[in-house]
Amino acid sequence: MADLPPTTSVRRWLVTTNHKDIGILYTITALFFLLFGGVLALLIRLQLWDPANQVMSGLAYNEAVTAHGLIMVFWFLSPFAFGFANYFVPLQIGADDLAFPRLNALSYWMYLFSGVLLGISFFQGGTLDAGWTMYAPLNVPMYTPSIGSTGAVLALFMFVVGVTASTVNFLTSIHHSRAEGMGLMDMPMFTWSILATVWMMLFAFAALLAVGLILASDRVLGSVYFSATEGGSLLWGHLFWFFGHPEVYIVFFPALGVMLELFQTFSGRRLVGRKWVIISICLISVQSFLVWMHHMFLTTINLEIKTLMMATTIGISLPFDLLVFALIYTLIKGRIQFTTPFLFAFGALLLFILGGITGVFLGAIVLDYEFRGTYWVVAHFHYVMFGGATALFGGAYYWFPKMTGKMYDEFLGKVHFVVFFIGFNAVYFSMFLAWETPRRVYEYNPAFQGMHQAGTIGAFLLGASFFIMFYNFAKSYVSGPDAGDNPWDYSRTAEWAISSPPPLENWPNRPSYASGKLEFVKDYVPDGGPAVKADEDGNAVTDGGDSHSEHIRNYPYWDKHPSHASIWPILLSLATGIMLLGLSGFNNSTEFHFGDSVSQFSVEVLNPVYPTLTVLGLLGLIWAGWKWGAEDFYAPPSEFGERWPFEGVEKVKLGMWFFLASDVIVFGAFISAAVFIRWNAGWMSWEPIPASLPGLINTFVLLTSSFTVILALVAAHRQHRTGLLASIGATMLLGFTFLAVKAWEWWEKIYVDGVYLATVPEGYSAIQASVYFVTTGLHAVHVIGGLLIAMFLFVRAYRGAYMEDGRPVEYFGLYWHFVDIVWVFLFPLFYLF
Amino acid sequence: MASDSVKLYTAIYVALLVLAFSKFVFFEFPEYFTYGQAFAGTMVAAAIKSVLIVGYFQHLRWENKSLTYLMLLALGLAMLLMAAATYSIT
Repeated sequence: MADLPPTTSVRRWLVTTNHKDIGILYTITALFFLLFGGVLALLIRLQLWDPANQVMSGLAYNEAVTAHGLIMVFWFLSPFAFGFANYFVPLQIGADDLAFPRLNALSYWMYLFSGVLLGISFFQGGTLDAGWTMYAPLNVPMYTPSIGSTGAVLALFMFVVGVTASTVNFLTSIHHSRAEGMGLMDMPMFTWSILATVWMMLFAFAALLAVGLILASDRVLGSVYFSATEGGSLLWGHLFWFFGHPEVYIVFFPALGVMLELFQTFSGRRLVGRKWVIISICLISVQSFLVWMHHMFLTTINLEIKTLMMATTIGISLPFDLLVFALIYTLIKGRIQFTTPFLFAFGALLLFILGGITGVFLGAIVLDYEFRGTYWVVAHFHYVMFGGATALFGGAYYWFPKMTGKMYDEFLGKVHFVVFFIGFNAVYFSMFLAWETPRRVYEYNPAFQGMHQAGTIGAFLLGASFFIMFYNFAKSYVSGPDAGDNPWDYSRTAEWAISSPPPLENWPNRPSYASGKLEFVKDYVPDGGPAVKADEDGNAVTDGGDSHSEHIRNYPYWDKHPSHASIWPILLSLATGIMLLGLSGFNNSTEFHFGDSVSQFSVEVLNPVYPTLTVLGLLGLIWAGWKWGAEDFYAPPSEFGERWPFEGVEKVKLGMWFFLASDVIVFGAFISAAVFIRWNAGWMSWEPIPASLPGLINTFVLLTSSFTVILALVAAHRQHRTGLLASIGATMLLGFTFLAVKAWEWWEKIYVDGVYLATVPEGYSAIQASVYFVTTGLHAVHVIGGLLIAMFLFVRAYRGAYMEDGRPVEYFGLYWHFVDIVWVFLFPLFYLF
Repeated sequence: MASDSVKLYTAIYVALLVLAFSKFVFFEFPEYFTYGQAFAGTMVAAAIKSVLIVGYFQHLRWENKSLTYLMLLALGLAMLLMAAATYSIT
């Protein structure tokens, strides 16, 4: 499907893969979730109007608090920022689109349907009520038994899958598609902030994916990780906060990028200390992974590590100081224009400073003992995360003219800011004053009633302020004055150099910064080859056969027009959503009876709805995935892009390596969990559950399959079709052999030794069985995924594919070898140690 | 440009099989190796196997060095999580 319907067609918005369309979809959907989370916030504030109020039951209050946190952190803040990132990062780097347009659409639809799943969870016996941090053991079915709780966990899992795809996409785009002459240090500050954000996301969200998978396993399959007395709760803390602290900056950095952009535009001054600001952003990104245990000061982790984490936490405030001073000094040196975008950006800085300072208190162990679990924490993180995000509303006003071609109403914008700022401080500063109120408890000391009532009034004011913005945007879109291409006096990024809104493929000719400023150059396109650079007269010029020319020549379909539409992202996401909806109630709807032998194994279906949804979703997923692979969708790389530091690495290969890096963290988290739990239980108190021989056999099987995959690649390079088919076929056979040995091994454990996920005879511990089955099971799922891809390749190779272009075989090999490497470590961990 | 030599890949494959078997041997003969020695030997063998697979089968040896740094960064973070979390309960 290559034709893109017009914007007036609903179909356009279902099939589009264009980055600007996806950006608009993200922005509007995120604003919907702002309303969703906002209504929950107002319910919370109504409950707190009076310490004896009964607006909600205790359970409903807990659900509202949990869903409010989850929605605002995951479904509003970052997606709102990534709406702008989708729209403007490709424009700011001079690209035609993101590197993988279909993957971009998939990320959006995963995001949307995951939000739908979360909404549905309210109607599945109540959603999760364990707080947005989902601390163990509150997060296990014993304490949160509703199907909706599982639904919310799976919704988060689905969201993270979409985020992972988006992360890989942005990293590949920024490192692969920058216009000629645009070095990393030349990138606009908003793009820089997004680059730092996605680098953090690559690793942080992989940890969340792992911990989400483990929790899903506890809830759906019945493993006992987070209820284990061998450190289950602490394990959650470590894995969650390894993600959770970088997440603070993941949320804040895009807003910081908007702030940096807007301060420059509305002070008419280039950012002071620009190089040092970029260095600070990089430093913070690294440091964000070194502080996570300051969220665990009240747990039983030892004092030495707490002290170390206190030091690293204080250390992270230093580069932030530099950022703040750079922003302030830029204003001092410039001539400020007090427009609505600037007011929001400046307000964000003030709010963030207060949030940052109050956070330093929490980084000190002794003070944290006092403040932890109180409204101090609630106030602090709202000032940081929502305070920072205030700049995003500035971004909305700033870029509204570019996205719509219309100018917003400046007066209404300023009214919005004033009402927003007063409401914000009324609701959140009152929390500092009533800080002794225990967090997440709906009854409180009547002495704080005045402060809480002020907070409630502030919350309604804050909520109402957004309707001013919605009205302003709607009115301006319908009947506002034309904004022109560039309504700002001192904007300097590339999006302002083209029409408002920009055309589908962004540029009149190829953007280039080779001369030091933005130019649109016309390339020479010979018959039978890719575009080459042209001189002023339009004649081809040679550039010595550099790496990107070779890179383009690898694309045999160079003369095709780029595609902008595909139905498969939405269908793939829909199928995933249906499958996960089914899985949410799977455990409650089925009973597995193992019996004494395999012949006695039976499944009792108590409620057919959820298992049916699971099966339908899974089949739909496989079907849509297959069609996705077979679709003729063309998204060529930029022809003369700057690629540092990944020069010479082909686009899809680079994306694959980013994905594998993220998968290293996923498996790293699973292996860390196994080591952590075993260390807690006493390392030598565990004997391997399975015999070593089947593990060794499977090691040989997987190593041999890696060898056959590399032979397949060699055959593809040599255009040896029979060799290619034989090698892929052998790989499949070996993959099935691996699964057969694994099945036999599990059969023996279950039927001979009586060991299952949480059912063990004397001599074993339930958590050991859980760790063994879940970790090796996850690996087996990877093998199954690889086999599905191998089957796809086999069918395509049989039809004659990969003779001209063997790269898909290489990409599959990268994945398959990675699965092999994981087994290299799982074998000793579970079969030998 | 990555190698297309079947001979090279076969040699790597044989080395991987030998290393895999060595891990098994470490733990099958406790009269020769203490648990600590077997553990260390196995981890060294696993590390060498990983390097061989990544370097040759995944062609990282011939790729831009930045890809190697990317994977080392991911590995380092995973090790940090494991080591720091485990140390926190000692």
